[in-house]
Amino acid sequence: MNASVKVLLRGSSLLAALIVLHPTVFASVDDAQSFALQAAEPYVKEGFQVREDYWGGDLGSGEKKAVRQQLFKGNEYWFWLGTEVERAKISVHIYDSDGKLAEEPDGWQKGHFAAAHVIPKTTGSYFVIVNIEESPEERTHWALVYGFR
Amino acid sequence: MIPFPKYLKLSAIAASGLILCAQGAQVPQHIDIKQLSKTVEDVVVPLPNEIFGALNKLGAVNWKEHVRSDKGTNFTERPRIALLLGTVIADGFIAVQAEDAPTVKEIGQRVLTLAKGIGVGNSITPHAKAIIEAADKRNWDGVRQELDRTQNSVQQAMNEVHDEKLSQLVSLGGWLRGTEVLTSVVSKHFSADGAELLHQPDLLSYFQTRLQAMPEFNVPIIREIENALGQVKPLIDVGKARIPPESVKKINEITTRLGGGITTRD
Repeated sequence: MNASVKVLLRGSSLLAALIVLHPTVFASVDDAQSFALQAAEPYVKEGFQVREDYWGGDLGSGEKKAVRQQLFKGNEYWFWLGTEVERAKISVHIYDSDGKLAEEPDGWQKGHFAAAHVIPKTTGSYFVIVNIEESPEERTHWALVYGFR
Repeated sequence: MIPFPKYLKLSAIAASGLILCAQGAQVPQHIDIKQLSKTVEDVVVPLPNEIFGALNKLGAVNWKEHVRSDKGTNFTERPRIALLLGTVIADGFIAVQAEDAPTVKEIGQRVLTLAKGIGVGNSITPHAKAIIEAADKRNWDGVRQELDRTQNSVQQAMNEVHDEKLSQLVSLGGWLRGTEVLTSVVSKHFSADGAELLHQPDLLSYFQTRLQAMPEFNVPIIREIENALGQVKPLIDVGKARIPPESVKKINEITTRLGGGITTRD
């Protein structure tokens, strides 16, 4: 068999293997980010500037992650969390530097999207707690974006 | 026997108590911050316009007097270019606050030149073009968005080639310039709320840690910034106390000196 046929065959079997693999194998934090941005979309019309920078990673079901963020009194912030795992249930909540819940009551949680709203009473560090409450996957990608006005 | 209206009232109290309990069970009202220490992610450094926006809400600011459009020195050392790039992007946000279209366009070009100098020009070209187009249309929200995209693209491109430290210097340059302008504005028209915007001790610690991990950058300005952050830290890490006018003035002196060091050759 000549070398080019061998390469072609090897390439075809690799392609076949890739096709039968579960789609989540190819999922990434970038996918999670696009869902987080999707959640943020309606707020742009309300004057929120959504940051390009974001946090992301993967967590097991029931695991939490804390993100520390500097917030400024006078601004209003929304944090949007997303994952590509549609059957996952996720949440996001915001605490001040004393560990006291600091968010407004209009935060929401809809399956693989969640959002939290904060109007900081003081300028300083806040903790954003990301939680993968339930997920059918062993590891669930997440991404958190925020916007301010 | 309990009278019906009182029964109703008690039921309502019990029901609201149950609702509160249910919410309390779902979302804890308090968490132990100390327990989080191992799971805390790094901060996302705020954009200068995040601070400027909060500052604007405290009263009218004459942004025009803070606009800076000099082209500055051309450096060859990559850490110096990275710091300068951060300050130039911050200058872009200031020019947007001042709605100064010619300066915004100059800054768009300058950002592109600096990005090329650091080897990430390709990822910036479309953003520089978009900044100039949005400035022509006086679409200020568009310029702000593009400046954020520019900084993000520069940093992503640097991270991809494992130049994370240079990426952090871009953020630091922007933060220093933002702090210089913030303290200048607050020094001129002091208010406790304005001074409170300087309460950023964790962010300062973040930069200090990053600078300590850059011993290979044998550039005097980097060490100067490292020392200066040590002087600024006690002035802003005041807990729940207020930051006095003298501290704001002192921080302004320090950041102005550093700003001069970033833009001019040693």
